[in-house]
Amino acid sequence: MQGQPVQPARRWPLYAGVFLVLILMTVLEVVIAGGVLAPPALNLVLLGISITKAGLVAAFYMHLRGESRMYTAIFVLPVLLLLAFAILSVLI
Amino acid sequence: MSHDAMMHAEDFRAGAALGVDHRKVGMWLFIASEVMFFGGLLATYLHYKYILGFPEASGLNIVQVGINTTILLTSSLTVVLALSSIRAGKGGQLSIFLLLTIALGLAFLSGQVLEFSHLYGEGVTLTSSVFGSSFFTLTGFHGLHVVAGVIWAAIVLVRGLRGAFTAERNMGVEVFGLYWHFVDIVWIMLFTLIYLIP
Repeated sequence: MQGQPVQPARRWPLYAGVFLVLILMTVLEVVIAGGVLAPPALNLVLLGISITKAGLVAAFYMHLRGESRMYTAIFVLPVLLLLAFAILSVLI
Repeated sequence: MSHDAMMHAEDFRAGAALGVDHRKVGMWLFIASEVMFFGGLLATYLHYKYILGFPEASGLNIVQVGINTTILLTSSLTVVLALSSIRAGKGGQLSIFLLLTIALGLAFLSGQVLEFSHLYGEGVTLTSSVFGSSFFTLTGFHGLHVVAGVIWAAIVLVRGLRGAFTAERNMGVEVFGLYWHFVDIVWIMLFTLIYLIP
């Protein structure tokens, strides 16, 4: 079956690397929010960083990367619906 | 084997042939419903923030919440290492990483209690303003999810100590992990949208 790693121990450096990136991005977010940028650029950069962080957790820690795409579809569909509603509520 | 049991076995074989597991599909569907749940609460918060400006939000302690965010991110690492450990057949490591996860979850909740107490001390309560209502509802529900996760982690730990999981049979750990990581993802978005974006 997909998603069953053959050698789980080999994934430890990958998980640690993702963790390091997540921490660095969090620190970067706090620094940027401290006054490096002004809105709307600030909002876009912060949103970009947080979506990247969420994507890293989903892809590597929830193993969406490399597993059946059905799981990804189940997860992404409501997110897209939410975005569609948000965009519609702004436009209408 | 009864006719019904045989039909169930066929269904599971069909799922396996597609590369999916029914228990994981169930958890992902639950997560999809949670996306809509938190999406609704977040939309409410952002709607009123756009209209009212929420000047009370300037009193939020970003550094303290940043530390709490780091604690939750670390707990995601310990959960994925717990799963990796049991897949390698290391039951002892599974217990250690689950214990660490419980400790980190409790640390996060302690940080949230401190933050809530501070805000209440400053007069920002669940009923004091629209900010208070939407902020405490949103972050409070997330906190309740962490509480549920800590209890679930303790159950998985006890089952692990009783030998319920092996290198080949560990879906109970994996499904718990999916839930915990999702709670982490929700916090990643809340941290940015509530605390960082002005």
